[in-house]
Amino acid sequence: MKRMIHRLSGMCAAAWLLLPSLAMAAGDKATNIVVVADTRRVEGIMRYFSDLYNTNIWLFAVWTVLLTVVMGCTLGFMMDFIMERTGLDLKSRKIVEH
Amino acid sequence: MDASWLYMFMPIAGVNIFWPGLVLIGFSVGVIGGFFGMGGAWMVTPGLNILGFPMAFAIGTDIAHIAGKSMISTIRHSKFGNVDYKLGVVMLVGTMAGIELGAQLIMWLERLGMVGNVVRWVYVGFLALIALMVFSDYAKARQKKAMGLVDGDKGTEGFTWYKTLHKIKIPPMMHFKAAGIYCSAWLPISVSFITGILAGFLGIGGGLLRMPALIYFIGAPTHIAVGTDLFEVMISGLYGAFTYTLKGRIELVAVFVMLTGAAIGAQIGTVATKYAKGYGIRIAFGVAVLCCMVSIILKQFKYETPAAVLILGTIGVICLYIMGIMFKGAAQELRDKKAREQAL
Amino acid sequence: MKPNKLFYLTFFAISVALMVGSATAAEVSQGKCIDYDRGTHQITLEEYDLQFSDEHPYGMSTGVQTVFDVTDAMIGIAPEPGDILRLAWVPKAEAKSALRVMNVSKQDLRKK
Repeated sequence: MKRMIHRLSGMCAAAWLLLPSLAMAAGDKATNIVVVADTRRVEGIMRYFSDLYNTNIWLFAVWTVLLTVVMGCTLGFMMDFIMERTGLDLKSRKIVEH
Repeated sequence: MDASWLYMFMPIAGVNIFWPGLVLIGFSVGVIGGFFGMGGAWMVTPGLNILGFPMAFAIGTDIAHIAGKSMISTIRHSKFGNVDYKLGVVMLVGTMAGIELGAQLIMWLERLGMVGNVVRWVYVGFLALIALMVFSDYAKARQKKAMGLVDGDKGTEGFTWYKTLHKIKIPPMMHFKAAGIYCSAWLPISVSFITGILAGFLGIGGGLLRMPALIYFIGAPTHIAVGTDLFEVMISGLYGAFTYTLKGRIELVAVFVMLTGAAIGAQIGTVATKYAKGYGIRIAFGVAVLCCMVSIILKQFKYETPAAVLILGTIGVICLYIMGIMFKGAAQELRDKKAREQAL
Repeated sequence: MKPNKLFYLTFFAISVALMVGSATAAEVSQGKCIDYDRGTHQITLEEYDLQFSDEHPYGMSTGVQTVFDVTDAMIGIAPEPGDILRLAWVPKAEAKSALRVMNVSKQDLRKK
């Protein structure tokens, strides 16, 4: 079993190293991919964020990070609040997750 | 019958997505991740891709959702129990550089028009490795049980690679007090750099690799490794979200839909661990990994619907199983509690 | 979370909200590329509407031809006559100045 793991990980490493040469072989058809959000089809807050994506991607990135943090914290607090109310004993074991 | 209400338009990626699938993925990744105590992000990137997101979007969206989820678990821990902040900050250098490199690799592959194929095959290899690890772990545990050994002590004593690695004395040498390590700063930086590349490339938190690396290569005690890893996942996830957004490869709506599902799912998953017994569940986990792998291969060969059915079906079933454990256990605990109170 | 962390977060949120003022909305047009003149940096587009169907996944032609100035635009896969393009643009003086040009039909092939 252990030898199989080693062999498999070796293969993975080899594939990893082969990646660039593979891409080189694909030749020079490399072109930037530009995406335009279709704001014609959305409204309201979605329209705002899609607009932001098209016009000011930096601000959009700041919003993404900020909203992720805020949403994560809010949900975290909310869930803790709810779980406390279930009456289950949640303190007696270690929680390890991410 | 008109099924269009089951599809939601994603304005940036420009695709119509089966939104119940999105909710199910978010919820399951919460339940499964919470239950097995490790990421679970490995099923999000393939899952999103199978639902119809272009690969680069799947990765970016996954990474942002990890950042949000790690915020939730950080709240649950209320504080980073055992973080070696110095080690964490030093590792951030490598992690962030690694994530950036991974993301650049993805963008480069996208320019070549082969990001989907390459990432899918790397994922197949990666998942095969996880499945192998899970099954060999199970086999070892069975063997130990058969020989009458008690499982519990960590098997870390067997691996002392870090002792050798600590002998490499390239300046600057650093002393990490909380972890009790004295080594070259380049050791944690290079370890985190490599895990960072994989995290940025596959759109995962990287804890699956960083945790063992912290224990075996750097020599951190397990509890410090857990805390430091959590810290690392949170910051690096946020950085990953930022850089993937700047590259325009993120779908904010999908992030929030999944995050909400994951927040609820994680509670169920973590509570369920209290009531779970035995090793059988690990087999279920291994099977889930294998099914996920098979569905990626199906997707690769353009069997879109079977791929979607397989991956959603698998995680759905595992979710139900874990929820069953949780609700049965919780009901029992509440009954016992009531009985105790009445007896008084 | 400690109160001072909350303070920083609020502060950050407010500063972001202030920045929002600088965000301008851009119009989006989609249609068939009629001509891409690299010398004058102009794209002529036959605009499509929003009536998507299986036969017309990019919408139906409205017959209207519009000229866009792409001097400052971020252009993806080089447009060729016949390609379906999607442009985000803002009015600038007399012209319609494109910010981003997406080659929808060619990119579709590369997706996934």
